[in-house]
Amino acid sequence: MIDIKNLHKSFGGHEVLKGIDLHINPQEVVVIIGPSGSGKSTLLRCMNLLEVPTSGSVVVDGMDLTGDADINKAREEIGMVFQRFNLFPHMTVLKNITLAPMKVRNISQEEAEKTARELLERVGLGDKADAYPPQLSGGQQQRVAIARALAMKPKVMLFDEPTSALDPEMVNEVLDVMKSLANEGMTMAVVTHEMGFAREVGDRLLFVDGGTIIEQGDPREVFENPKEERTKLFLSKVL
Amino acid sequence: MNLNVDLMINSLPLLIVGAGITIQITAISVGLGLIIGMFVGIARICNVKVLRALATVYIDFLRGTPLLVQIFLIYFALPMVVGQRVDPFIAAITACGINSGAYIAEIFRAGIQAIDEGQMEAGRSLGMSWVQTMRYIIVPQAFKNVIPPLGNEFIALLKDSSLVSVIGFEELTRRGQLIIARTYGSLEIWITVALIYLVMTLTISRLVSYMEKRLATK
Repeated sequence: MIDIKNLHKSFGGHEVLKGIDLHINPQEVVVIIGPSGSGKSTLLRCMNLLEVPTSGSVVVDGMDLTGDADINKAREEIGMVFQRFNLFPHMTVLKNITLAPMKVRNISQEEAEKTARELLERVGLGDKADAYPPQLSGGQQQRVAIARALAMKPKVMLFDEPTSALDPEMVNEVLDVMKSLANEGMTMAVVTHEMGFAREVGDRLLFVDGGTIIEQGDPREVFENPKEERTKLFLSKVL
Repeated sequence: MNLNVDLMINSLPLLIVGAGITIQITAISVGLGLIIGMFVGIARICNVKVLRALATVYIDFLRGTPLLVQIFLIYFALPMVVGQRVDPFIAAITACGINSGAYIAEIFRAGIQAIDEGQMEAGRSLGMSWVQTMRYIIVPQAFKNVIPPLGNEFIALLKDSSLVSVIGFEELTRRGQLIIARTYGSLEIWITVALIYLVMTLTISRLVSYMEKRLATK
């Protein structure tokens, strides 16, 4: 589903990603962990070209983002959830969710609203359709953001530290939605600090540090028997 | 010193008609400026280099030269090029509109750049184009931010529009001059003219803060 080859990304003279190779299979849930500044968010943002790679290739669902693919077309298939939600504050929750399907996929308002209400029901916010984002709690906003991304019926979902900006008591309501999504077979790449989620939901765990993938494998395996020194050091601090 | 109050009162009807014309050319010019300013302001931050450069030249030229000179350029210099006399009204609104377009462009640019860049990223990540994201997400939010500075621009232009009196266009200031030419009542007329400008600018600034409050509670 996602095929990354020899990906490099520099900001000015600073090289953040130093040659990443990564293949994500359909329906696979890949969890990316690592210290801050390790390049994990940049890696994720290269998967929908919010960051433009310096070199290397990123192919998603057969579309070469670093080649001749129409980036807007490609992004229709790649949902993204941000750390700070990024809901549109001037629109109701319903409008937040229906805007892109109507403008990009040319779906009728009636149908878009029907889908939006179903999605809101699914993330447990069926009664919030007419609320404005600033009236919602962080956890509720993030669930709306997930519904908004899902409304495009994407083939892949990217999560960029989706619970990092939340109060602790709201983390689980968001993780639960992500869990059910994973169980339904969505292909997901998740950058997170939630080790419990990584262990429980992840099919594969990636430990990134210094712009390279240091270690990867089955999450339980990596958590219990990290092979690399740097992985051990990191896990000893966060577990 | 003797203040002829009768002269002030008698000249009011003529001056108020002039004030109406002042408001009219200000409103038309700001309307023109809004359209120009929106496009130039967006061009200034778009990712097409040529457009960005053109927008910068436009803004630099119009903010870097006096409005009075711009009025002369359009009323006196332009006819030499096109070989046709320019109507004073057209010259007045064109000069003021093009000029305020440059200031409004900068207001829009600042208003747009004040929007969190996560909004653009969210729009783009949903598959919307840059133009769609601007239109549906960024510009509507920027509009709230720009109401107060736009109000200030309206007030500034209302005052600066007195400059078009030099090309003989009969707005408030020009009418004052004409009445003085007849009555020699410099003191009375200029005080009256100043007071009328003051009433107009104060009214507008109250109106703007009222709008601002209403938008803020939304």
